[in-house]
Amino acid sequence: MTPLPAAAPIIRYGRLLTVLGLLGMAVVYLLALRYTPVEARQGMAQKIFYVHAPAAWGALIAFVLVGVASILYLWLHDPRLDLFAEASAEVGLAFSAVMLTTGPIWGKPIWGTWWTWDARLTLTLFLFLLFLGYLTLRAAVREPVERARFSAVLGIMALVLVPFIHLSVYLFRTLHPQPILLKPSRPSLPPQMLRTLLTSMGVYTLLYLGFVTLRYGIGLRRAARLREVDDA
Amino acid sequence: MPEAIRSALAIAGKDLRLEFRTRTALLSAFVFAVLTLLVFNFSRDQSLISTTDLAPSALWITVAFGAVVAMNRAFIIEREQGAFDALLLAPVPRGAIYWGKFLANLAFVGLVEALTLPLFVLFFNVPLGRALPGLLATLVLATIGFVAVGTILSAMVVRTRFAELMLPVLILPFMVPPLIGAVQVTARLLGGRPLTEVLGWLRLLVTYDVVFVTLCTLAFTAVVDE
Amino acid sequence: MPELPQNGAYMVAAYIVTAVILMGYAVSLWMRSR
Repeated sequence: MTPLPAAAPIIRYGRLLTVLGLLGMAVVYLLALRYTPVEARQGMAQKIFYVHAPAAWGALIAFVLVGVASILYLWLHDPRLDLFAEASAEVGLAFSAVMLTTGPIWGKPIWGTWWTWDARLTLTLFLFLLFLGYLTLRAAVREPVERARFSAVLGIMALVLVPFIHLSVYLFRTLHPQPILLKPSRPSLPPQMLRTLLTSMGVYTLLYLGFVTLRYGIGLRRAARLREVDDA
Repeated sequence: MPEAIRSALAIAGKDLRLEFRTRTALLSAFVFAVLTLLVFNFSRDQSLISTTDLAPSALWITVAFGAVVAMNRAFIIEREQGAFDALLLAPVPRGAIYWGKFLANLAFVGLVEALTLPLFVLFFNVPLGRALPGLLATLVLATIGFVAVGTILSAMVVRTRFAELMLPVLILPFMVPPLIGAVQVTARLLGGRPLTEVLGWLRLLVTYDVVFVTLCTLAFTAVVDE
Repeated sequence: MPELPQNGAYMVAAYIVTAVILMGYAVSLWMRSR
């Protein structure tokens, strides 16, 4: 059996990154609330953009990494890949939860409606459901190797599914003229907005790394303990 | 590869005979379909929603959920018979096992659909006419998509504790693209639109089927091997 | 010049929700890693 790396240093490292990420979020909050100008037509609600859009990005990255780790696991059979996929899925769930809650809160004042079946929101909903299904499957399969194999298959299937979801939603929308909503225009962003957005994306990435590392460490420790029990 | 094909067909045949001996599975899927159609009809406001507007959704929701019910039963029966482990001991290529189960599920779900379709036409006053070939093609294509994914997923969840709940939870996201395509095509065909207008959607269905049948055939090894 | 829409409450709500989810998850991870 592949020896597992020690969990403790990874947990320490993960905690550090997470704390840095959270501090970074505080900075982003300050920037977004104080530094950026208020958009004239959309008002203060436009600022939700700074916490909403990067979360979507983070969820997508988490999802793709679950898929990649799944492919690599079926090829290399390294349990560390499986544990990483599990960690990434959980973090992705958290990020897509942020996206799904801030999305409607942003949509109501800007678009006039809580939910629109637009491509991005719909896709995030699917990511959320796929993450949930993935984690539910993992919870339901007891034996670790079987769980790893099944999760990997599901992870790959989910990765392949996403382009189809995107395509069918896109086709659906182009053939179904949506009601004319108050569309927020996208002129080139003024520098403060751009800088804040980029900072936010950087912070979310840092937070992803912190969360995943920490969660991976937790998974490692649990797996190591199970092995001790088995060997005993 | 004729050996593998023969194995697949043998497995499919065995599975189907299992189903017919336990006709309750077929019956429950069919009753489910009928009840769903009924509920659809009685839950609409007759003055606001015409049968033609509701028909495509009613048909496809019935088909989709009926397929899930049917596929769930198929694997559970197998597990109860304990036949699956015996099958794995035989030197049959894993892809052939998948195809055997896939074909059996396809036939089973197809049978449920064949029984449901006339009722659908009856309850919803559907003007079939020229739409029939296109409709049948869509049924085949979408069902292939559902069953391809459902077969491998039910193989995974069959031994879990809440197997009958797990399959719908896992499979529904995968059913959405073929479902969207199928509903769109059905709505247009029933509205008298020519087949040429729905080629884009049909291409989507075909692509989905090719991609997922291939993927699931390859991935099945990982699901059943120790 | 058109009037600025008074939708600050939504912004506050979104920022609070985001903080709750992310902090909540961080705390959950922290506790599980002890």
